[in-house]
Amino acid sequence: MKLTPLHDGFVAEASEIDISRPLSADEVAAIEAGMDQYAVLVFRDQPLTDETQQAFSRNFGELEQALIAQMSAATAQRLKSFEMADVSNLDANGNLRARDDNRRMYALGNRLWHADASFRATGAIYSLLSARVVPSRGGNTEFADMRAAYDALDEATKAQVGDLITEHSIAFSRAELGFAEYGPGNEDKVRPVRHSLVRTHPVTGRKSLYLSAHIGTIVGWPMPEARAFIRDLTEHATQRQFTHAHEWRVNDLVMWDNRTTMHRARRYRDLEEVRDLRRTTIRGTGLTAEQVPAMAAE
Amino acid sequence: MNIRPLTRNSAGDFVGEVTGIDLAAPLSDADVAAIDAGMDRFAVLVFHDQHFDDDTQLAFSRRFGELEISSGGEMSRPEDRRLKLEMADISNLDRNSRLRAADDRVRLSALGNRLWHSDASFRAIPAKYSLLSARVVPAKGGNTEFADMRAAYETLDEATKSEIEDLITEHSNAYSRETIGFPREAYGAENQDKLRPVRHRLVRTHPVTGRKSLYLSAHIGGIVGWPMPEARAFIRDLTEHATQPAFIHAHAWREWDLVMWDNRTTMHRARRYDDLHDVRDMRRSTVRGDAMTAPQAQAA
Repeated sequence: MKLTPLHDGFVAEASEIDISRPLSADEVAAIEAGMDQYAVLVFRDQPLTDETQQAFSRNFGELEQALIAQMSAATAQRLKSFEMADVSNLDANGNLRARDDNRRMYALGNRLWHADASFRATGAIYSLLSARVVPSRGGNTEFADMRAAYDALDEATKAQVGDLITEHSIAFSRAELGFAEYGPGNEDKVRPVRHSLVRTHPVTGRKSLYLSAHIGTIVGWPMPEARAFIRDLTEHATQRQFTHAHEWRVNDLVMWDNRTTMHRARRYRDLEEVRDLRRTTIRGTGLTAEQVPAMAAE
Repeated sequence: MNIRPLTRNSAGDFVGEVTGIDLAAPLSDADVAAIDAGMDRFAVLVFHDQHFDDDTQLAFSRRFGELEISSGGEMSRPEDRRLKLEMADISNLDRNSRLRAADDRVRLSALGNRLWHSDASFRAIPAKYSLLSARVVPAKGGNTEFADMRAAYETLDEATKSEIEDLITEHSNAYSRETIGFPREAYGAENQDKLRPVRHRLVRTHPVTGRKSLYLSAHIGGIVGWPMPEARAFIRDLTEHATQPAFIHAHAWREWDLVMWDNRTTMHRARRYDDLHDVRDMRRSTVRGDAMTAPQAQAA
C-alpha cells in the first residue's frame, strides 16, 4: 500500500491495495498507521458490495447501527443491514425521495459540520463511506482537521476550553434546521450525551477539538452563550486552511477518524439525480466524559 | 469632510474613514448629502472622536430619515429601560447601570447579535442606516464585523443568481434567537405578535446606486415555498459565502467612534468580550427604510 498526501498531514490517497479481499494483519496495521498520521484516507477504484464493505470495516472494530435505521420502521429501510447507513436520496423502493420527504429533511442535517455519532456516549471511531452512484455535479464531502484547529487556538482559549464538557443530541443539529419529526418511541435516542470538548488521540497523543453540529450546550453555561461560543469555535475550526473537499467518483471509499475530524455534505440536485453512498461506522470504545446517570442515549 | 478607504473588495469600496467633520454640531444640507453619497459608495462609514450624547446622536440621525423604535425597547417594560425608546441599548448594563448577570434574560437574547444579521430585517419595512456610538469600550474584544452583501451577490455564479433572483424569505427575531437556544416563549406573552415572520426579497436593489445585493440575516427562518430545513441549509450556505474573509471588515472600537452602516447592503455581527467583568456601552439609533421589499402574507 502506498500513501500519497492530498492535504499535508491530513488527507492521503491510499493506492496499491485491494480492500475488497481479506487483509493481512500487517495491511490492517498499515491502514491504521495511515489513519493516525493523516485522519482521512481516500481509496480509489474499490468496487464494494455491502458485504465486502462490512468485512473490510470489521478489521477496525465493531460496527455501529445507523441511528436512522434504529428510529425507523424496518419496511422503510432500503439496505438490509442495520449496520449500513443509507447515505442516499433513495427510498425503500429505490425511487428518488420527494422534496418534502421526512427522511430527506432529516438528512439535510448532514450539510452541517459534524462528527458522526457524537450523539452517542461512546461516539464513533472511523466512518467508511463507499460511493456506488454519484451525481454529475455537486455533493462533495468536506473534511476539517480538528487537530490543526486545536493547535491554532491561542493559549487563553486553549486554557478556557481544556476542561469543558459539551452535550450532544441528534435533536440539536436537526432543530437548527427547523426539523423535529422523529416519530413516537424515539425519545430515548434524542437524549443528550456528554463529551469532552478537547480530546486526546489514544495513539498519537495529539489533542483535538471535539466539535459537532450535534452540540446543544456546555455543562454549566447558559445555552445561548454556549451556542454562540461553539459557533465561534466551529468557524475557527472550519477555516479554509483546515479543510479538504473530496469530489466523489464511483467506487471511491473514504475513511475518516471521527475523533479528530468533522465533515459535511454539500448540496447537489437531489430531486433529479441519484447519489448512493453507503457508510459503515466503527463504534467508539470509551467515554470521553462522565455521563449523567439515566440521561445518556446508548 | 474627507473619506479615506479602509477596506475594498472585488466589488469596490466597502468601508471608509471620515475626517474633518463634527457630527454633534448642526450640519448643512451639503454635509448631509456628502455623507449620504459616501454611504452609497461605501456602505460603512467610520467617524472617530464624535462626542455625542443621546440627544445629539438622535438629532444627527434624524437628518437621514425617521427613526425606529428599538425592538429591545418596545419589548421591555418602561421601568426596565435604561435609554429612550429610539435608542437601542447595545450594552451589558441593566437600568441601574450594573453589569448584567450570566443568566440575565436580556443578556442571553442579546447574544443573538453575535450572529450575522441585518438590523430590523424582522420588520416589514426594515432599517436603512444604523448609527452606533461607542461611549465605553472594553479593554479587549467586542469588535463589530461587517460583510459586504453587494460583493457577496456579485461573486455568485450565474446559476445561483438566477435561482435566487425571485426568492422570498421569512424573517423573525424568534428564528435568530431559537438558533442559539433562546426560546420564543422567553419574550413573554405580550410580545408574541412582534415575532410574527415578515417577508423580504432575498435579492434587493439599492434605490440610488441600482446595485444588487444579498439580503441575508440570521433572522431568516424559511423561504416561501421551500421546506424549512432545505431553506435553512441553503441560507447557511449563502451566508457562509457572503461572510468569507474577502468580504469582511472588522472594526476595533475606540471611545467616541461613530460607525454608520447601510442595512440594505451589509450584514454585521458583534464579537465576544469579557462582558461579565468589562463594560461595553454602545448606543444605536436606526433610520427606518422607505418601503417593503416584498408583499406580506395576509395577517402577518
